Formats: sequence, structure tokens, C-alpha cells
Amino acid sequence: MNDIKNPLSPHLQIYRWHISSLLSITHRICGVINLLALIFIFFWLVALSLGESNYELFLLTINSFIGKFILIGFAWSMSFHVLSGIRHLAWDLGYGFEIKTANISGVIVIILSLAITIIFWLLARGFI
Amino acid sequence: MNETRKWILHRISAVILAPLYVWFYFSLILLSMKNYSEAIYFFKNPLFVILTIIVFFVGFFHAKISLSEIFEDYIQNQKIKDVANLLTVILSIIIPIIILILLMYKI
Repeated sequence: MNDIKNPLSPHLQIYRWHISSLLSITHRICGVINLLALIFIFFWLVALSLGESNYELFLLTINSFIGKFILIGFAWSMSFHVLSGIRHLAWDLGYGFEIKTANISGVIVIILSLAITIIFWLLARGFI
Repeated sequence: MNETRKWILHRISAVILAPLYVWFYFSLILLSMKNYSEAIYFFKNPLFVILTIIVFFVGFFHAKISLSEIFEDYIQNQKIKDVANLLTVILSIIIPIIILILLMYKI
């Protein structure tokens, strides 16, 4: 059997983008990012257990420009995955399958995830 | 573990994680501005310690199931898939246990 001649499933870049497919793959990617975030937080707690001087160094790192960028990125990834996950759970219960509803809930997920990230950051950082 | 049970456990862990993650991330952004002694003081609260440990155990459990789905979709070679799954299992057991020990005895 010649494997090369078998048709391949179209890759991601072949499809015309819809909000449904965009959210589906982003949900996965954010899930993986959240795992990386959890590993990052693991090292955060390791740094905390290593004593004051080490922890101060860690704090300096996460409060640098890149550190803040990573923290905000993780926060967005988390809020997106949680909101999108709620959308998936609704589907699992049998709600929201109509194309129009699914599109609207998709847009809501995107907007809310951005809003939550911004509000979180401003609230926790003491800007509001 | 059969697939139906996996599916159900995956959803249950998701429902547990959703509110916990929101709390956890908010706390972390708060902690990123506090110094060492304030961070230590934060983890003196037994409720926060227990919730953090739950986040790690349930989070890695959730990730383990999801990752095996992703491996199923993107890895063709069965051997590589098995190794990837094994590594994920090891990681998702070791890291939460280290966190448990750190929070109970070191911090």
C-alpha cells in the first residue's frame, strides 16, 4: 500500500476561518498554555520555598516587562479557557447548538475573556 | 480507564477547576506585588493551602486526560504516543506531590 497517495485531512491553514473553528483550536492551545502556566506557578512556589533572597529575585523577574507580559498572557489564557469551557459544558448538556447561538456565544467568550483579563489586572494591581 | 468514565471525570474536574482557577489567578496577580513575608503569610492560611493543592492535583488530572486526547489526534506513531502519555502521567503525579510537600512542610 502506498501511503503517500492517501488523501490527508486538510490542515488548519486550508480551512476558511469561522468563529467556531477559531475558538475550538484556541481552546486547545490555551489549555496547553494553562498547563505551562501551572508548571510556571510550580516554580513560583519552589522559589518561595527557597527563601527570601531567591524569592526577591523571582519577584524582580516577574515584575519586569517580559514577566508582566507572561502573567497577563497566562491570565488571558486562563479566562479564555474557562469561559470557552463553560460553552463546551453547555453543549455537553445539549444547549446552544444552533449556528446563530454558537456564533454569538463565541463572540461573547472572546470579549468577556479580554474584559476579565483587563479587570483582573487593574483590580489586583490596585489601579481601581 | 474506559472512555466514558474519562469523559465524565474530565467534565467533573472542569467544573471544579473553573471557579478555583479564577480565584487562584487573582491571588497570584496579587502575590506578584507582595514581598516574601507577605507571600509566606498568604500561605499560612490553611484554606488557601488546601485550595492550591486541589488546583494542582485536579489541574494536572484534567491536563492529563486532555493531553492524551491531543496526542491521539496528532501523534501517529504508537510508541511515541505511549512514551508521551507515560511522561504526562509521571509529571502529573510528581508535580502536585512536590507542591503538597512544599506547602505542608517548607512554606
